[in-house]
Amino acid sequence: MIDLSGKAAIAGVFESPRRDAPRVHPFALQMDCILGALDDAGLTLKDVDGLCAASGDWAEGGSTMDVVELAEYIGIAPTYVNSTDVGGCSYILQAGQAAAAIATGLAEVVVISYAACPRWWPLSSPSFDPFVFPAGPGQYEIPYAPTLISTYGLFARRHMDLYGTTPEQLAQVAVTFREHAATNPDARLRKPITVDDVLASPMIASPLHRLDCCVVTDGGGAVVMTSRERARDLKKPPVHLVGYGAAVARTQNSQIPDDLTTPAALSGPRAFAMAGLTPGEIDVAQIYDAFTITPMLALEDLGFCGRGESGAFVADGNLTLGGRLPTNTDGGGLSSNHPGKRGIFTLIESVRQLRGEGPGVQVPDARIALAHGLGGTFCSAATAILAR
Amino acid sequence: MTAPTTSMTIPPVQDETSAPFWEAAREGRFLIQRCPETGRFQWYPRAHSIHAPHARPEWVEASGRGELLTYSVVHRGNQRGDPYVCALIRLEEGVTVFSRVEGVAEADLRAGLPLAVAFHQLDEAISLPVFRPRTPD
Repeated sequence: MIDLSGKAAIAGVFESPRRDAPRVHPFALQMDCILGALDDAGLTLKDVDGLCAASGDWAEGGSTMDVVELAEYIGIAPTYVNSTDVGGCSYILQAGQAAAAIATGLAEVVVISYAACPRWWPLSSPSFDPFVFPAGPGQYEIPYAPTLISTYGLFARRHMDLYGTTPEQLAQVAVTFREHAATNPDARLRKPITVDDVLASPMIASPLHRLDCCVVTDGGGAVVMTSRERARDLKKPPVHLVGYGAAVARTQNSQIPDDLTTPAALSGPRAFAMAGLTPGEIDVAQIYDAFTITPMLALEDLGFCGRGESGAFVADGNLTLGGRLPTNTDGGGLSSNHPGKRGIFTLIESVRQLRGEGPGVQVPDARIALAHGLGGTFCSAATAILAR
Repeated sequence: MTAPTTSMTIPPVQDETSAPFWEAAREGRFLIQRCPETGRFQWYPRAHSIHAPHARPEWVEASGRGELLTYSVVHRGNQRGDPYVCALIRLEEGVTVFSRVEGVAEADLRAGLPLAVAFHQLDEAISLPVFRPRTPD
């Protein structure tokens, strides 16, 4: 078996500074990001032989053969593609699989790209949970009109009941990431907030308030990966993918485990094992934050704190600059950027942190970063560990 | 039978596997599945047993009684009417189902609340199970 750790590197990244892109088709935004990431790496479109995307969801512009549509739009004919869509963490999963493709010679330069424009997208939003149809397994749930946020509410409420987690602790997640967004010029929301502000904001789906929820932006980003050898001679210092894991678990609410374990409990240990590292060795983390409960469960499943302890872990300031695990240093999805599947931004900000280019707060001399995402409502998970 | 709430407007698509479930629901009975090899229950209904994948599960009538496991009150988002309660309910048979809880004030919702199934007739084909408070045994 090939030891994948360190075989591939991220050579270029780009996050669109846009948060509103009225009447811009998501493919156009993807092209901006792809060219930006290639330029960051010192490569051109001619170098690209691999393309990864998951652009078939609402407001992403693509259809059922999205990666083919996108390749055509860009004007390339890649010989390695991956359009596996497991939700928001798809791009982390694709990075791990791109590393395997690079290590085995299937591809040499792979672009992973994402954009969505939900703020103006003209085609109607599904009126039900967007992940399943009211047929097959979904026929027993969709008729009740569950919203995406209410499913996160089911998790949050049970976490409060099981472990004594408080609304104030949940709110602290949003407050912390807003602090990080304050100095990020591109962040959607930068004005500092307090725990009281979060609790006073309108209830969306209990126990989650409006400020427990991510921003909704038009946006995109891209990542360029290549071999360790080729990355060495490119424009920017390489960031190596040293650990990777992914897992999928469920889509239906009825299948939520009693103790709220998510597939991060599978993806995380695999990533740490490949990297030969432990959670205590991570200098900076980017953890998908669609809602305040989202990173909290990840912190537990990834082993940064014990089961049920994430509320106290957050309240103790561990996610802030200077804390044990500075997290979402660009403001995350709660304050900076969330077009719908923000996993790619966890890779991009990890690379920026390892290069000392963080736009929000910068962890001094960060050497090892963790990028973690989930898909759907804790349906899937992917974890990448990156190192200089 | 009670009138459907306005936000329950997306009818389930019945199929070969689920037809017995919806047929029973029209008669006010809540069916779940049991594995003929292991005797274990499963929810949601499938054409195979998740406990013995080559076995075809059998339908059994559930007690319809359970407890509230967790819930979220939808105040904003999808609803066209009043706030409604999305919930996971643990049935006495040990399986967890997703449904609505009705007839409970938001302030009175709590884990462990005893519930019993009731049915909303959406149309001639579909009666949708929901859960309402019951007197504890």
